[in-house]
Amino acid sequence: MSHQELKPVDTKQIQGMLSRKKGKMKRFLSYCAHCSLCAESCFLYMEHHKDPQYMPSYKAINSLGKLYRKNGKVDRKLLTEMKGIVWRNCVLCGRCYCPIGIHIPSMIAFARSILRSQDVYPQLDEVSSESWL
Amino acid sequence: MIVGERKPFDEIKEMIKSFKKVLNVGCGGCTSICMAGGQREVGLLNEELQNAFKQEGASSRVDGFTIERQCNADFFSELDEIVKEYDGLLSMACGAGVQFLADRYPQKPVFPALNTVFVGVDRDIGWFEENCRTCRECVLGETGGICPVTRCAKSLFNGPCGGTSREGKCEVSKDTPCAWFEIHKRLKEQNRLENILRLKPAREWRNQTQGTLVQEAYKKRYAK
Repeated sequence: MSHQELKPVDTKQIQGMLSRKKGKMKRFLSYCAHCSLCAESCFLYMEHHKDPQYMPSYKAINSLGKLYRKNGKVDRKLLTEMKGIVWRNCVLCGRCYCPIGIHIPSMIAFARSILRSQDVYPQLDEVSSESWL
Repeated sequence: MIVGERKPFDEIKEMIKSFKKVLNVGCGGCTSICMAGGQREVGLLNEELQNAFKQEGASSRVDGFTIERQCNADFFSELDEIVKEYDGLLSMACGAGVQFLADRYPQKPVFPALNTVFVGVDRDIGWFEENCRTCRECVLGETGGICPVTRCAKSLFNGPCGGTSREGKCEVSKDTPCAWFEIHKRLKEQNRLENILRLKPAREWRNQTQGTLVQEAYKKRYAK
């Protein structure tokens, strides 16, 4: 068991962080028209045979979107699942294009920041022979 | 990837010891990947610093915060409020990130916790190898994908020199392969030896000045 699994989740801290950027981030989340135009601008989506899990909108909705929906009341298991979404499935290259103007990288970066606050981040030396990507 | 290594602990401690409140800023980019300046390394360094300050009876406090990249202004917004509380900043990014941090917060003294060592590749977990000196005049197409600037001890463009051993090692060390021996071997295999028979003119060492690059498609946007 790594140290990332030991510490209890500080829900209040997560709620505080979510609240600070609530206006902008919730606006981004609600503006998404699910048009999927962002998908083809993501090289990971294209490289993974258009696996929907790699769609930028999917990644934002299932990380930051979920954190807002649950009002920060999440357990470590869910945070660990999100770790895969925001780090393994996204390299924050910033190339995702949204015709409405939603800035997806800032949402992913914010989700990463929330995860970091709970000591959830990639342990690079724990990645064995399996490629991180 | 840019590879960095942590400075000696005493050097870091000396730099920040006169400050009461220091924020150690980690970088989630290259230095995180090379396991020198990510969130984990921020935590480890801070623990060491706190212990040392405690033993010396110093009242300095070091906190940590990691942003996704210190070389991109988009990722600084969260830091803007946090840094106000601190007297000084320690950065665990590469030299570019440290300077970007110092530019962003010009009132705050900024100190590097890492030495930026090279641009390189991951050989394995925790094992990195230098492969590029960013010389701005790439010749890899002619040298079989082996960089003479990085891998030849003399950065020779018209090698090899007279110091190559029969086994193809460099005179600097018998453990160091001669780059030009390797280049010759590879080009011979590819039947492209004529590539290195031409004499190359002396390099222009433009890398001595600060570089800026605007990609062709963006030149109009930034035209003055």
